Amino acid sequence: MRINEEIKRVVSVSFKINIMALNAIFLAKRAGTAALGFGVLSNELRVFSQDLRNCMESLTDLIHGCVGEVSIVLQDIRFTRLLGEAAQLAPASAAPAILAQREAENDMHAHKLAALRNQLKRALEDAFQIVELGGVLAKSAKIEAAYGQSFAAPLAQVSGEFDGIVEEIRSSLESLRRSAFFTGH
Amino acid sequence: MKITETIFQDGTHKWVAIVRDPDKPNFLVDTNEYLVTHGGQGMLLDPGGAEIFPAVFSALSSEFDPSALAAVFASHQDPDICSSLALWLEFNPKMRCYVSWLWNSFIPHFGGTAETFISIPDEGMDINLAGLTLRTVPAHYLHSSGNFNLYDKVAKILFSGDVGAALLPADQNGLFVEDFDKHIRHAEGFHRRWMGSNEAKRRWCERVSQLEIDMLCPQHGAIYRGADVQRFISWFDDLQVGIVKG
Repeated sequence: MRINEEIKRVVSVSFKINIMALNAIFLAKRAGTAALGFGVLSNELRVFSQDLRNCMESLTDLIHGCVGEVSIVLQDIRFTRLLGEAAQLAPASAAPAILAQREAENDMHAHKLAALRNQLKRALEDAFQIVELGGVLAKSAKIEAAYGQSFAAPLAQVSGEFDGIVEEIRSSLESLRRSAFFTGH
Repeated sequence: MKITETIFQDGTHKWVAIVRDPDKPNFLVDTNEYLVTHGGQGMLLDPGGAEIFPAVFSALSSEFDPSALAAVFASHQDPDICSSLALWLEFNPKMRCYVSWLWNSFIPHFGGTAETFISIPDEGMDINLAGLTLRTVPAHYLHSSGNFNLYDKVAKILFSGDVGAALLPADQNGLFVEDFDKHIRHAEGFHRRWMGSNEAKRRWCERVSQLEIDMLCPQHGAIYRGADVQRFISWFDDLQVGIVKG
């Protein structure tokens, strides 16, 4: 499933940020007082990576929930059609009453699916906000790198990589947002 | 809509054949369903696929209250046998489904809960329908590896599932076999291909030869009655099965 692949990609990239941030913290320690700010930002990027992974995990759970509910709704549609035909052919039987019960259950399932879809949209927006923060952190790290004196070049390289990866995550989330699953088309 | 024909009746003890649906789309195989009633209880044999549920339901409703169905009997696990299970359960969630133990974790994909299923052991078992004993007769590998027929000793009727089935042309839609030689031509290819074991076939022929059978009721095609029952058993005994042409 393409959505799952996209989520896995975000999770694996955010894990990469975690490792990179750890390396950046060591680099900042070596640079000493000249890279104190960079060290703090690198640590924040580690936190960002963990937050993003948690967010993607809940997104995955919600997607699984939605897929399950969609299967139920599809089955409802088929059963309702068949019970409807039975009620038409045997109007004096219990079929019309059972059909009405089925339709009431269908409404419940449809509402549950709508609620899950809303939760899913909110979780995706949360992920975007986390990525916005990640983008700000990466850009601030770029600025801090410039103050790294003799370590300025390696720090600039690391902060550039941070920025690149955050952009990669943003584009994955954009593609998730555009997917039929999220747009509902 | 399907036609209902009472093929046996003695007081509340009744066998009703639910057959032929002129409105059925051609891409669906034609099936027969049978309702057995006794003392106000009913059991539906091979209730059929989900897509033909409306036709079977409406036909059955003219004879019996579907919500009073105590059980269904599934000869085996195929979708044309019981993919309608979930729909029948909507009318009576307490209804039971008798099926070979082999399929009791497969058929729930069509519907039902753990309580719905009653496993039939390989050697068969008796089913009690309001005091009427119905015997499940092993027919394994004919064609399914976990397969049962159902025998009613009082009515002398054997529901034979896919054994005896014939894929009849549209113009041969009689309820009973009238011309055995003409009829059996439409059964031959089916039995050669669907029945997988000559040994299983031999055992089945021996087993059912010991039963007193007035009517042999398959899930597809016409019902064999009188001398045609033994004629069919002998024909089947001589037939080489498990064969693919070409």
